[in-house]
Amino acid sequence: MAPLVQVEDLEKRFDAVRALGHVSFEVESGEWIAIMGPSGSGKTTLINILGGLEHPTSGRVVVDGMEIGQLGERELTRYRSDKIGFVFQQFHLVPYLTALENVMLAQYFHSITDEKEAAEALRRVGLGDRREHLPKQLSGGEQQRVAIARALINHPKLILADEPTGNLDEENEATILHLLRDLHSAGHTILVVTHSQAIGNLADRRIELEHGRLARISVPVRSGAGST
Amino acid sequence: MFLRIVSDSFMRKPRRKALTAAALALGMAVATATLEVALDVGDRLAHEFRSLGANLLVTPATDTLPLEIGGVDYRPVDAGAYLPEGDLGKLKTIFWRNNVIGFAPFLDVPVEIAAASARGNQAQGPGSRKIVRETAGETVRETLIGTWYSHTVAVPDGSKFVTGVSSTDPWWHVDGRWFSDGAEESLIGAGLAHRTGLRVGDTVTVRSGERAHTLTVTGIISTGGREDNAILAPLQVAQKLAGRPSSYRRLLVSALTKPADSFSERDPTKMTPADYDRWYCSPYISSISHQMQQELPGIEVRAIRQVAEGEGRILTRVGSLMWLVTFAALFAAALAVGATSATTVLERRSEIGLMKALGASRRAVGLFFLAEQLLLALVGGIAGYAIGLELARVLGIGIFGIAPTVRLVLFPIVLVLAAVVALLGSLVPLEHASRVDPAPILRGE
Amino acid sequence: MTPRSRSMFWRIFRQLLRASRGRLIVALIALSSGAAISSALLNINLDAEQKLTHEFRTLGANVVVAPPSSGSDAALADAAIMDRIVGPPAPQIIAAAPYLYVAANSGAQPVILAGTWFDQVAKMNSWWKVDGAWIASRDDRLHCLVGQAAARQFGLAPGSKIDLRAGERNVSLTVSGIITSGGAEDSQIVTSLDIAQNLAGLPGRVSLIQLSVSGTPPEIETFTSHLAAALPGLEVRPVRQLAAAEGSILARINGLILWTITLILVLTTLGVLASMAALAMERSRDVGLMKALGGSVERIMHLFLAEAAALGVVGGTIGFAIGIVLARWIGGRVFGVAISPRWPVFPATIALAVGVALTGALPLRLLGRVRPAEILRGE
Repeated sequence: MAPLVQVEDLEKRFDAVRALGHVSFEVESGEWIAIMGPSGSGKTTLINILGGLEHPTSGRVVVDGMEIGQLGERELTRYRSDKIGFVFQQFHLVPYLTALENVMLAQYFHSITDEKEAAEALRRVGLGDRREHLPKQLSGGEQQRVAIARALINHPKLILADEPTGNLDEENEATILHLLRDLHSAGHTILVVTHSQAIGNLADRRIELEHGRLARISVPVRSGAGST
Repeated sequence: MFLRIVSDSFMRKPRRKALTAAALALGMAVATATLEVALDVGDRLAHEFRSLGANLLVTPATDTLPLEIGGVDYRPVDAGAYLPEGDLGKLKTIFWRNNVIGFAPFLDVPVEIAAASARGNQAQGPGSRKIVRETAGETVRETLIGTWYSHTVAVPDGSKFVTGVSSTDPWWHVDGRWFSDGAEESLIGAGLAHRTGLRVGDTVTVRSGERAHTLTVTGIISTGGREDNAILAPLQVAQKLAGRPSSYRRLLVSALTKPADSFSERDPTKMTPADYDRWYCSPYISSISHQMQQELPGIEVRAIRQVAEGEGRILTRVGSLMWLVTFAALFAAALAVGATSATTVLERRSEIGLMKALGASRRAVGLFFLAEQLLLALVGGIAGYAIGLELARVLGIGIFGIAPTVRLVLFPIVLVLAAVVALLGSLVPLEHASRVDPAPILRGE
Repeated sequence: MTPRSRSMFWRIFRQLLRASRGRLIVALIALSSGAAISSALLNINLDAEQKLTHEFRTLGANVVVAPPSSGSDAALADAAIMDRIVGPPAPQIIAAAPYLYVAANSGAQPVILAGTWFDQVAKMNSWWKVDGAWIASRDDRLHCLVGQAAARQFGLAPGSKIDLRAGERNVSLTVSGIITSGGAEDSQIVTSLDIAQNLAGLPGRVSLIQLSVSGTPPEIETFTSHLAAALPGLEVRPVRQLAAAEGSILARINGLILWTITLILVLTTLGVLASMAALAMERSRDVGLMKALGGSVERIMHLFLAEAAALGVVGGTIGFAIGIVLARWIGGRVFGVAISPRWPVFPATIALAVGVALTGALPLRLLGRVRPAEILRGE
């Protein structure tokens, strides 16, 4: 089976600055990839390109058989709603919509809304009884869980998470990582940008970037087999 | 130190400041333009009313009672008094000479149309025109009205003034062209032309007593008045026919006047010197008439009330309407500027919070922002005034065909208005914002 | 959109409005004020023409009916034509006054006597000033009004008696008032039509008929030609003196008011723009997010356009209501008579308000170009 994600010789320039250069790798369906590196190494840029939020300057990016580098604005919008689920460091929930409505928003932009399904998604992340709450009434960890429910609601091929636990304390971080591990077990393909070694160790593979270039791809050594 | 902070802050975020200043400028431009036009509206409309024609009638003071029906005076020719034409230049030397837009003297002479010939003496034939006399051998008796169309008057101060019925009766319509000053030419009234078959280019001989003149018809005139059944000729021709050189009987004057009010109707002989000056120096019909009577001896000046009253009444109404419209525009301008001010102050809540967190007192914060708003108001006001002048020019020409006079007094007024509105607009949100606890703002909520 | 999506649309819409209500209220205030003033001015513009035309009608006759004149002898027409003019319903005719002129003598002094209907003249010639008392009834056989020059000539004052003779007929009248008209009447004696006809020995005859006709200059032209066709053998002339001035003054006022409305709308747009710009800043992150979630620009813009349109409709309605009150007040102050509300003003105000709202919503429309990556990264 073809890999879900194929990146060939990807280059991204912002005017004179080269954020990414000569980046090539593949991601199989069901893999958990950690994208790591110091700040300024181009991690966020890479994930933005994969998510269709940026166009590559040159190179090929193929996701689920679609070459997204050449897509127009309209098609990219469709691509994002169809194939991608985003999770952001700052959660980015719409402040005046309830948790339920925030999840339904993703449905709305994809096709049709289904309140029951959205409620079920929230229940699965443990927030079934908080669905009428506004983001400001939820803790950071709860907000991020809503964001994850939102990211999953349209059954995306790829989950892209940019420092999902960066704004969370230890306890909430653990909860989120637990969630991500469940998703991984369920077969979702996850790409996580992080600079935390702990999270990196949970991944199947680590893609390490330095100054916009692919430094190395490594497989973390896990302590203890069959971790859940 | 305070000034430094103000100027430093002023220089930051130039784009947003530019936007506020632009809004202020636009608001003040509208305010300037509407004020300029409004101050001028009275004058402009007064000029419009001059298309109603003369509003003053001058007759000899010692005249006998006119016997007028339908504008035709049935008095015998030698009854009644006459006035000297040579005095007319003095009308342009009175205090309100610039308000005297035009005047036209009139001299009527009852004449017989003795003979008339078609242009080029065409041979008679079937369907050719017949110049007829009245049926049954009666002669055609009509009035010949002598007047000026475009006549050059010598003014005692050495200048020249061109005037005539073009000013006093602008709605008169001529098919063809007016007679030339002093020429042996004439206009035939439309009704008379219809009855006699006279056309442009024909010649007509008119006789009064022993004197006769042959005049070329240069045009057919229709006015809706007595002229439709008369012959119009240059004043000199009428004077020669009547045997009264350099005389006229009646003078129509068209003057720009200020609508009459209770002050203008008082008896000038009973006014205090201060009041008299004020009355004299206002272009009321009563004061202009008075000044005319001072310059020209032996005349009686009366307002043609139909025109004068109507003008006064309508001007007053329209004047108030225009001022209310102007205030509406000013209010809208103030509102727009105030809203913009309010919005931008609300924007700066985080700055306010920061300043307070750094230890600035509420008063200091308030003063600082007010100073900044004042500065913006100044810049916006100046720009607004300049743009407003141009806008006023465009509006004036578009509506009245003439640009309004630039009134420099508006400049300080507009600046003050800008300052007041900007300050008022920012006062409420400032008051609100300076009370707010800085902490949540700084946290980014 | 499917029904479920539509209800989601309105759900988001409601929450959007509630969340931004502070700014939207400021925008609404700006819009309502602008709409109120514009609405009032529109109303006034439509009504002022009518009111001013009415004002002009008190400046004298604008149509004259007379037998075709020939020579210096005044020809006469039958007074019965008055019935043909005013008989059939003619709402345009505000006043109709017949005149008969008689050359008479008082003692040895000749004077012109004008006979007419005083009630009609009072409507037409508002500028006549009367020192004394006006004569109300058109059938008054005892009184006359005397022009101020004639009064001076004959030494008359209100209450004096004057004897007039024409041929073998004579009449004795009491002076009711001295008139100053600034016109020919100042040297005439004015009586009721009956007295003039009796004195002249010409019962049932008139010299001419003055009419005051309402309407715009083109309407008056039409009326004149219709009347001329209905009265063959008579001349029906419009009095051109007033028409031109009236036309141009109305045009100027129209121009001034319309320009003012335009300026006010521009300013209102400015006020709305300011609020919308602030709104746009606040919403840029949400818009970026929605785009990242796969929201199309169209979908997002529909929300903002609906918001602007709602603002326009509400602002326009409020503005219209306030505008009516404003117009009434202005009308009272300027014309002494309330302005009658004109119904086309309502849809016009709404349309203008919506237009202003949509234009002022430009900053929100520009949000459509927002690049999600920049917005989301920029935090």
